[in-house]
Amino acid sequence: MKNKEHRLKFVSFRILCIISLLYVLSIIGCANIRLIADYDEQIDTSITSFQRKVEAFLTYLERNAVKDEAKYENNTKFYDEAMVDLSAIRVRAAANPKNEITIKQIDLLYENISNLEKLHKLGIPAEQIFPIRTAINSTCTAILKLEIAKKRGRS
Amino acid sequence: MPNIDISALLTNMLSAAKEPLLQKWSETSGYAESEFKKIGEAILFIEKQRLIGKMTEEQAKLHLEMQKNASRAILLTIEGLGILAVEAAINAALSVIRDTVNTALKFPLI
Repeated sequence: MKNKEHRLKFVSFRILCIISLLYVLSIIGCANIRLIADYDEQIDTSITSFQRKVEAFLTYLERNAVKDEAKYENNTKFYDEAMVDLSAIRVRAAANPKNEITIKQIDLLYENISNLEKLHKLGIPAEQIFPIRTAINSTCTAILKLEIAKKRGRS
Repeated sequence: MPNIDISALLTNMLSAAKEPLLQKWSETSGYAESEFKKIGEAILFIEKQRLIGKMTEEQAKLHLEMQKNASRAILLTIEGLGILAVEAAINAALSVIRDTVNTALKFPLI
């Protein structure tokens, strides 16, 4: 008797689960659920291009570390452009709904460029470019990895 | 008499949902391991520079902050891949019951 009652409760719970699911589906009325923003080709290409620009700058600093031309005062234009680029990428990311993770990642990249600028003001010896390159490349890779996964996850 | 076999429906949904979750984990763990290894090496380098007196405290803090930000970005990607896996699992579960539910209800609900 007790066993029968337990089974009845279990079946009722399953029915409730199915009804809830169907109810949710009827409300959203769609074939597929979206929990995160769609792939954005512009974010993909902009971050790729940004990484290339920073890499070129770091290589330049590495090769010319001891020269006057590599001093911070002579390279403020790079930082101005980098901040504008990231601001534009962030605005683009914010235009897509459910894109909070990518926005947070772009903010972290912005912070890292700002940290690079502070280090440059203090002076960066050529051999200390390595950890900077790692940090910026890993941040760019993280953004691209998620962006590409958004595409593959829905193909 | 209902047309929908709830037990079969749930079994199919669970089975369909399982695969995307496992697939995403194998992709995620490999990526995280390789990126965190690079960051670990960079932190080790900062420590060595500091020990030989080639990096000031202020510089070391900025370098470390950069590595921490990179790690945060990687963790956010892992979070995003997890959300995508859950999304894929839900959609896979819905996909396997689409025909059964739509046929039983005689209209395309899913």
